[in-house]
Amino acid sequence: MPVDRPTFSESWYRVGELRPRVLSTVQIHRQHFRGQAWHVLADPASNQFFRLNEAAYRFVALLDGRRTVADVWKVCNEQLGDDAPTQPEAIQLLGQLYTSNLLAAELPPDAQGLFSRYRKRVTREVQSYLMNIMFARIPLLDPDNFLDHWVGVFGWVFSWLGAAVWLALLSVGLYFLIGKFESLLSQAQNTFQTLTLANNLLPMYIATVVTKVLHEFGHAFACKKFGKQTGSGGEVHVMGIMFLIFTPLPYVDASSSWAFRSKWHRAVVGLAGMYVELAVAAIAAIVWAQTGEASVIHSIAFYVVFIAGVSTVLFNANPLLRYDGYYILSDLLEMPNLWQRSRQYLYYLVKRYAWGVRRPTNPAHTAGECVWLTLYGIASSIYRVVVCLAIMWFFAQRLEGPLFVLGVFLTITSLIAWIFVPIGQFARYLFTSGELMRVRGRAMLTTLLAVGGAIAAIGVIRMTDHGRAEALVVAAREQDIEVRTEGFVSSDPGKGAPSGTRVQAGQPLVVCRNPQLEAERDRLTAALTEAREKLTADMASLDPHEAASVPVDRGNIAAIKDDLDIVQSQLAGLTVIAPLAGDWVSPNRDRMFGVYVTRGQPLGKVIDRSQLILSVWVPQSEAWLIAEAEPVVEFRVRGRPDLNGGRPMTGHIAEVRPAGTNELPSAALGFAGGGDIPVSTSDREGRQATEQLFEVRVAPDGPFPDLQPGEVVVVRFAGRSRPLAMQWWRTILQTVQKKFHI
Amino acid sequence: MSHLPSTTWQMLSRPPEDKRLPSGLDAAWDAAVGLVGRSIPRRRRYLREAAGVVAMEKQFTEISDRKLTDRVGELRDLFRRGRQKRPDVLTAFAVVREIAARQLGQRPFLVQIAGGLALYDGCVVEMATGEGKTLTATMPATLAAWRGLGCHVVTVNDYLAKRDAEWNSAIYRFAGLTAAAIAQDTPPPLRREAYHADITYCTNKEVTADFLRDRLALGRLKGLPSALLAHIAEGAGRGTDRLVQRGLEYAIVDEADSVLIDESVTPLIISGDAPNAEQVTAFRQSVELSLQLEPDRDYRANPRYREVDLTSAGKDRLEELAEPLGGLWRGQRRREELVIQALTARCFYLRDKQYVVQDGKVVIVDEFTGRLMPDREWREGLHQAVQAKELVEVLPPKDTYARISFQRFFRSYRKLSGMTGTAAEAIREFWQIFHLPVVVIPTNKPCIRKKLADRVFATESAKWTAVVAEIRRIHEQGQPVLVGTRSVRASEHLSEKLSAVGLSHQVLNAVRHAEEAQIVAEAGQPGRITVATNMAGRGTDIKLGRDVAQAGGLNVIATERHEAGRIDRQLYGRSARQGDPGVAQAIVSLEDELLMRHAPHLSASLRKRFGKTDREVSSAPTRKLFDLAQRRAERQALRQRKGVLKTDDWLDEYLGFAGHEG
Repeated sequence: MPVDRPTFSESWYRVGELRPRVLSTVQIHRQHFRGQAWHVLADPASNQFFRLNEAAYRFVALLDGRRTVADVWKVCNEQLGDDAPTQPEAIQLLGQLYTSNLLAAELPPDAQGLFSRYRKRVTREVQSYLMNIMFARIPLLDPDNFLDHWVGVFGWVFSWLGAAVWLALLSVGLYFLIGKFESLLSQAQNTFQTLTLANNLLPMYIATVVTKVLHEFGHAFACKKFGKQTGSGGEVHVMGIMFLIFTPLPYVDASSSWAFRSKWHRAVVGLAGMYVELAVAAIAAIVWAQTGEASVIHSIAFYVVFIAGVSTVLFNANPLLRYDGYYILSDLLEMPNLWQRSRQYLYYLVKRYAWGVRRPTNPAHTAGECVWLTLYGIASSIYRVVVCLAIMWFFAQRLEGPLFVLGVFLTITSLIAWIFVPIGQFARYLFTSGELMRVRGRAMLTTLLAVGGAIAAIGVIRMTDHGRAEALVVAAREQDIEVRTEGFVSSDPGKGAPSGTRVQAGQPLVVCRNPQLEAERDRLTAALTEAREKLTADMASLDPHEAASVPVDRGNIAAIKDDLDIVQSQLAGLTVIAPLAGDWVSPNRDRMFGVYVTRGQPLGKVIDRSQLILSVWVPQSEAWLIAEAEPVVEFRVRGRPDLNGGRPMTGHIAEVRPAGTNELPSAALGFAGGGDIPVSTSDREGRQATEQLFEVRVAPDGPFPDLQPGEVVVVRFAGRSRPLAMQWWRTILQTVQKKFHI
Repeated sequence: MSHLPSTTWQMLSRPPEDKRLPSGLDAAWDAAVGLVGRSIPRRRRYLREAAGVVAMEKQFTEISDRKLTDRVGELRDLFRRGRQKRPDVLTAFAVVREIAARQLGQRPFLVQIAGGLALYDGCVVEMATGEGKTLTATMPATLAAWRGLGCHVVTVNDYLAKRDAEWNSAIYRFAGLTAAAIAQDTPPPLRREAYHADITYCTNKEVTADFLRDRLALGRLKGLPSALLAHIAEGAGRGTDRLVQRGLEYAIVDEADSVLIDESVTPLIISGDAPNAEQVTAFRQSVELSLQLEPDRDYRANPRYREVDLTSAGKDRLEELAEPLGGLWRGQRRREELVIQALTARCFYLRDKQYVVQDGKVVIVDEFTGRLMPDREWREGLHQAVQAKELVEVLPPKDTYARISFQRFFRSYRKLSGMTGTAAEAIREFWQIFHLPVVVIPTNKPCIRKKLADRVFATESAKWTAVVAEIRRIHEQGQPVLVGTRSVRASEHLSEKLSAVGLSHQVLNAVRHAEEAQIVAEAGQPGRITVATNMAGRGTDIKLGRDVAQAGGLNVIATERHEAGRIDRQLYGRSARQGDPGVAQAIVSLEDELLMRHAPHLSASLRKRFGKTDREVSSAPTRKLFDLAQRRAERQALRQRKGVLKTDDWLDEYLGFAGHEG
């Protein structure tokens, strides 16, 4: 029948004459969501919740075990008109209540059905465990008694007084943190150095557990407190261990807060964990500031501050993950089941607009919800995919040896759980769903087009293949300056140029004195004068004997002149001049005054910073790039993407040095110095790379005033264009190969 | 204090097993098992075993009746204890065969024995009509009855049930068994007696209705313990004493495809009157309102799914029109629902096609079989809408007391088997829904029917002209013709055309069903022209008149293809039985309902290409189009039937508090 909600049902006869009622243990709480009244049926024994809208609640509320279903249905129809549940809706409602074990009929309970439902639920739970093996939960304790006992003592924490104390505590903590912000940063850097991280993991984990236990008790006590205060529920029966990416952490099930009438109470229960955690962090901050650097307490306090801060921001407060932030958001938006419904809403949009399904069920109850559902649906889906991929990639990258096998295993299970199973389910839905019966062709076509488009995008359309490598900025021209003539460096600071100054070509850098040479010059000058005088005399003399010695004199003069020239040039060498314009760098300049220096001794360098060059060190695995890279490359300074107005700088490949080496020119390029290239851990300097490196020299195009020699830049090579799928496949292969050394 | 009869005890202590349709991977596995199971060559095995049974003939032909009776006694004890092995089964078949030969003078043929063995193993047996299915069923029925838990032989009508039970009772009596038949008018005490006989012949309707009535009688007594307690507490005459059946053990279903497939989702309903004057008025008003709405502007009709949608203009107009009526018409949902029903009744439920009006009553015509279904009603107010449209008395919907679909009912038998003339097309469905493998048994004499290729015409009028011409041609050759039509309307239409050209003929349709058997029986006389809706007189043999066989036998013309290939084959099967000659052909048009509903786009483009030509447009592609539409229709029907079963399962799970069904 092409009617949205047919009034009658053929199966009505099966329920019409029954007199069921809601189980007497079920508590009913009235709540308002976005202006609509809802009723939550809560069974404290089984912790089952069931949300009913106004009309459905009216129907259920009239079922008292004395009226028949048919009578109640008639009454509802008279009172509510079109809003009343239709017969199929009433049947569905009763069925759902029954399968949630919230309904009692006058028939003896169907034990077989009860057990088969129980078995089904267990199977489903086990399945969801296996599906979410990275986020499994293991219930262990029932803390309810404990909480009942202590709620009187701790309950005040969640009152205005508690909030005031909390604020005060937080201010003090922040005050200390800001006061010692620099040392906080440096400690953080030390902690996360690769080489020291392993030693820090255990204390860090202990700090996490302690913080999280307090966090969970925050939820539990808040739930208990408001439950007691409003007299509705607040039972907390499950506490256990949850695995967050294989890290066991405590958790507590405070879902009975869903029955609270006030959304603020529900939100506070959600917030309670972070609230406590931040208070703990504030105390830890004070402790950290007041203890000495080396003490154990100091470092533990630091971890607590760090974990409370980071986890609060990254996980708990983040509404895109299904932790505290999510529940708070959904309470504040008054949209329960935000996550499921946002997903359903996206499907609904696809069904309605892409597939043209007739009258798909719209999960949004009010118009205002649509926007939220769409936004949240898209944001959380993207976030989830990104987080999953990041986690998988992290495992694949950082786990070594046998642990890498674990990483591969994890990656495969996650792939199955997050990608293959949903695809399988989707395919089954596409092929067999009754909903799609009429539009199956269109649904399949649009799906095929979308999938085909995606496959074309990653598998067929070629994209430029990019590779990255880090490079050291070096000057293109620089000259080592050394002593050319031995002598004493002049002790007059006014002579020569001080280190670090800019010098012009020909400008004296260092001036030396060499008395011995000066004496020799004086002697030779005197000898020359004497020889010239003798020659003049001999030429003037008529004495044939003397006249005959003229050539000899001439020879003498020449010889002396030669000697003098040599000495002169040696003396000129005492003044070391700059061979090129640039910066004069001479680290020992200040200690050289009056010192005797020998020929060939290095004095420093003149560096021409007007021309820089990038010395790129490409590891062997990326060497394919060198072969096919475009001559033009892009680069950015590491850690400073804002330079050059945020745009990448460009350069082109000037030279590829043929031979490979293991020696890094600077520790800054290696892992130990924060670079990308793995270095041997036995090398204390951190310059011994674990794989062969090739040097490529890249000349930057145009002057970039921000670029300084010694800086590390990230150079992006553009290789040949090939489909993204091939590029990813190569990366995966390389990763596997690197880990297994095949 | 009276005791509880052992049969009731047995019935209550062995509740039917839970036979849900598997889902997910289980369903895939089940389908795979079915695929393997289907491809096991059962047919050869049964023929081989049957040959073994035939070979035992000599052992028994010689011995005296007395000795044979002794032998029967031995076998019966063996079966009762459940100790029978396969050789014992074969021996038992040989014994029953001998009994049949002695008592009825009919010795089952090899193929009949093979069919009987397949039935005994719980298969669906495809045997061509006229191959003696009645006799075939006696052998497995006897063996099953020896087991002592009862055996139901389900036939298509009361007459056949009665006839078969009487016919075969001699065999059963010799085998130490009792047989009884149940008809619509059998009173409850006799029914009880009949169900407690060893072999019960009944129609699917009666056996299902009795099952439902039993369940109503049991009320909320779900198992043996509660029934026993009630028996002690309330004494005799209540609950269990009103039961007539003794549990569902083994059934042989004749015309299995029609019972288990075509009719499988029609529910059998036990209902009572529920006068409701307000509703009756509302239905009348809805028809009046619907007449004031215009197609396309106010509503759109979708022939493929037989649905009507109101446009927003139509909704507004309806609100305006219904304003003065008040009452129930104030609510938008209810108002639109009623009018949509009225519109559906007007657009898609046509007099003499989907229903006929007889004695001021609307009677449904089964679209598959062309039979009248006087005790069936359309659901959800549609029946009332049709009544209001026809201006006959509007009877308010009845109150349902109990309800079950045949599909579900027959699934609750512990062992089920079936025979039919056409099962091969439904292999998948028999497996997926009933877990029944299909065995195709060859005919005793080879079939020499000539099946001519379909003739396709562009328009309906061209088709009818061609049909008349073809009838005339065959008639002039002196051969008899049987023309199958899909609806009463079409048969009347053809009848007019034939009268116009002066061809005398007989019409057999749901409206003129009194002389059914006689007309069908005479359809084989030379030169006879019979126009019949397809299933009219099914079960009655068409015997060929004198010299007809020499002239080429009976000609069958189908004037439309059906939604299922099986039904076409059943019609063709009216000719060339038991080795007689015969010809069958379908004459169809691109305007046929099958194409309109199940290949609307392709057929529309073909119609556009051929235009209004009167020419024949038969070609491989046009013929293929009909096969395609038929396949689509079959798929849709199977999906729908599975959907019904799944909904039933869902209801059972979710309405556990209301007690289990089936």
